[in-house]
Amino acid sequence: MKHLSFVICSLIFTASFAQKSEDLIPRDAVTVFSINNFTLLQKISLDDLVKYEFMAEVQSELFDGSTSGKTLKDAGIDFDQKMNIFYGRGKEYEISGFTFGIKNKTDLFQVFDDFQLADSKIPGTETYTSFFNSLIIKGNSALLIRVEPLQDRVNELTDSIWYANGNESPWVDTYEEMEEDLKEESEKEVMKEEIYEEMPEATQPKTEDEFPVAEENPLQKNYYEMRDSVEMVLQIGFLDAICKDLFVSNLNLKAVDSRFAEQLTHPSEGIFFLDNSRNLQQSKRIWYLETMFPTLYSDLKELYTGNVLLGDLLLNNNSVQFKMESRYGEKLGSIYEKLNHSKFDKKVLNYIHKDNTAYFTYNVNLREAYEQAFKVIMPILTNEKNTQMSTSVLALDLLNEFINKDALFGTYKGSMFGTFNGIKKVKTTKIEFTYDEETFEYQEKEVKAEEDMPIFTLGFSTERNDIPLKVLQHLSRLTSRFQNKGTYWVFENAILNAAPLYMIANEGLFIFTNDQDLAENHVKGYGKEALAKKDAAKAAKSGSMYANINLAQAIDRFPRDFFSSKQNEILDAMRGKTGSMELTSSKTTKEKTSFDLLYTYGGTYDNAGKYLLDLMNSLYIISK
Amino acid sequence: MNKLLIIFGLLISISLSSCIEITDDITINADGSGLFKYAINLSESKVKVNSLLALDSIEGKKVPTLAEIESKIVEFKKIFASKPGISNVKIESDFTNFIFKLTCNFSSVNTLQTAVKEVIKEISNEKNSTELEAVWLKWDGQKLERSIPDITIKKSKEFKTEDIEQLKKGKYTSISRFAKPIEKCSNPSGIISKNKLATMVQTNIYSLTKNPKLLENTIYLFPNKN
Repeated sequence: MKHLSFVICSLIFTASFAQKSEDLIPRDAVTVFSINNFTLLQKISLDDLVKYEFMAEVQSELFDGSTSGKTLKDAGIDFDQKMNIFYGRGKEYEISGFTFGIKNKTDLFQVFDDFQLADSKIPGTETYTSFFNSLIIKGNSALLIRVEPLQDRVNELTDSIWYANGNESPWVDTYEEMEEDLKEESEKEVMKEEIYEEMPEATQPKTEDEFPVAEENPLQKNYYEMRDSVEMVLQIGFLDAICKDLFVSNLNLKAVDSRFAEQLTHPSEGIFFLDNSRNLQQSKRIWYLETMFPTLYSDLKELYTGNVLLGDLLLNNNSVQFKMESRYGEKLGSIYEKLNHSKFDKKVLNYIHKDNTAYFTYNVNLREAYEQAFKVIMPILTNEKNTQMSTSVLALDLLNEFINKDALFGTYKGSMFGTFNGIKKVKTTKIEFTYDEETFEYQEKEVKAEEDMPIFTLGFSTERNDIPLKVLQHLSRLTSRFQNKGTYWVFENAILNAAPLYMIANEGLFIFTNDQDLAENHVKGYGKEALAKKDAAKAAKSGSMYANINLAQAIDRFPRDFFSSKQNEILDAMRGKTGSMELTSSKTTKEKTSFDLLYTYGGTYDNAGKYLLDLMNSLYIISK
Repeated sequence: MNKLLIIFGLLISISLSSCIEITDDITINADGSGLFKYAINLSESKVKVNSLLALDSIEGKKVPTLAEIESKIVEFKKIFASKPGISNVKIESDFTNFIFKLTCNFSSVNTLQTAVKEVIKEISNEKNSTELEAVWLKWDGQKLERSIPDITIKKSKEFKTEDIEQLKKGKYTSISRFAKPIEKCSNPSGIISKNKLATMVQTNIYSLTKNPKLLENTIYLFPNKN
């Protein structure tokens, strides 16, 4: 009985403390996409999976024909565990990879057949390597990771060793060497031709590479060989440290970041985590700030502390929902809160046509955000004891005093809207050659023409319409291309040197558009033809941001001529995916703002996983 | 020279998918010398041309700036003007309406033909193309035989469906002028001017790409009265 109790206790203990795939995400990971409901993908065949461009390129080393006729389920992967894809960049190295559960190791290595068993330095783990990737297995979980030392660090160390060994700069004789190489090449060619002529045809080498090149001293490393060695040593060292953290000290992202740990508990299909504060700290551009203005850097770091983007992906029967939460620290949050402290300007809705293809509204209060940013950021800048910074602070302070903020923020309050109305014929002019019947001599004649053009409208709320109108009046004195048409202004040939731009100043709105119909017939808005009440209410209720796209219409209305054949192929592929996309946002508080992206689609799909992959692939190709 | 090729490639790709009007106009004097004019009119597609020029690259190829195009046109003019028998080379570029006109004098149709072939060889990869060996212009003092190079047939096979509609709207006009009156011309579409000193053939560019013989024309002048 004692034995049985011991065995049961041991089993419970092991199960409780066994590391799951999410426990193997290194704490250096800055971005993580975690698939909770991995079962969605289990029906997808590996052959189909590797056909996706994003998969074929990323995993070309893994899936090299060993996947034939298998599904992900056949690959020995445990679908009860999450799959976590991560990326991170630290001060010295970059990491990328994924973690997952294993059900059958034999099946797994049928797919991961390039990996070779290597010595493992951590007890209880197995390590396999393939080129630059390492696969570390502990229990039923695995970490596939690539660690790449940052090139600046590698160069710095290599230079240090290179010069300490008494070598001269590796770059001094580069040009002389290049010249010599060219000379040698041509001599070699002549020599080769002579040798070949004397050799029987069958034994002649086929390529020039077959002549071996002997080094003077094979034990002496040149600069590049030394650089490779340094990189490899660093890579091994960094990987060892990561593994010790993960497998010995149990220090992983979930353990050190409670926000990520909490996000992992969500019952959605997938979760997303992006630590913006660390992205800022590791940014290459921040180096100058860190070196030249250390106090400012430290204060800014504090300002960005807690800046993180958390997301949930939900797959429904005919929709994909992406919920995002942008969290930030108190100081930054106070600026965002003021920025979004704005009443929605309902007048904009009157300028959005009910049959609109795509539109957005953006509702912010720049004046309050400016005042708050001044309050928060000025003390930080003042804190930096530096001549350059002090001069800048003085300039900012004086500008703040002298500038008429009422006029500035009255003209541009920050709230705006935009619409895409598809393609319309716009009036342009063309030159025609006309021929004289007597002699066939010809002359040029300007005639009216029409061309296809995407129709956009962009407008912003203003309390001071008189200011942009002042600018237009002055410009019209300079050039006849600016004309006052009474209820609107027109700037001839403004768009692509061919089509006019119309400007409307009306009821606290200043609107730019290339829609002639809007300028000539709807200066006071579309009235009954404007956005339906239900849709208008959605935009009005949303926080700082709202967007709505009728995907099928938007893609159908994209002008083919404006895209390359490759881009048109992608658009054609997306044309089959009907549906709409809606972005809403919450009211901003000092702690967070939430965004909700809902993509409702039509069409039939075998399963949501296939649809998700189709969508991911489309986005991947577009973003390439 | 590579940039020049990119620019010409771009102009060709713009031409293929935009509404384009091309006019070639050759005047032959009594001594066999003459004046050649060639005009490309893209004004009907200036929105599209401007939008393409606003891009950084198209299908992986860098889109040149207007300044680069201008400098390469100057270079082209220099190469063309250096050819024997070619003089008074002028190129007018209108970047507002996208109209480009080339004008030059030639000492004989053979020198014009040789100069055109040499320039094509210098600026393109068609170094040893057999099409360049063909004779497009033949003049014996009484009769002018005109055709266009077969190289255009090759290019026509690359057209996409969406380009075809645009090409159908495009127009190619070929004019031949003489010092003496024209008796007749072989092309059934050819028309003779009222003063009898010029003949003109017009076709749409799509038809021309399908059948380059549409512009073939032999023009006979009234024989000299002795």
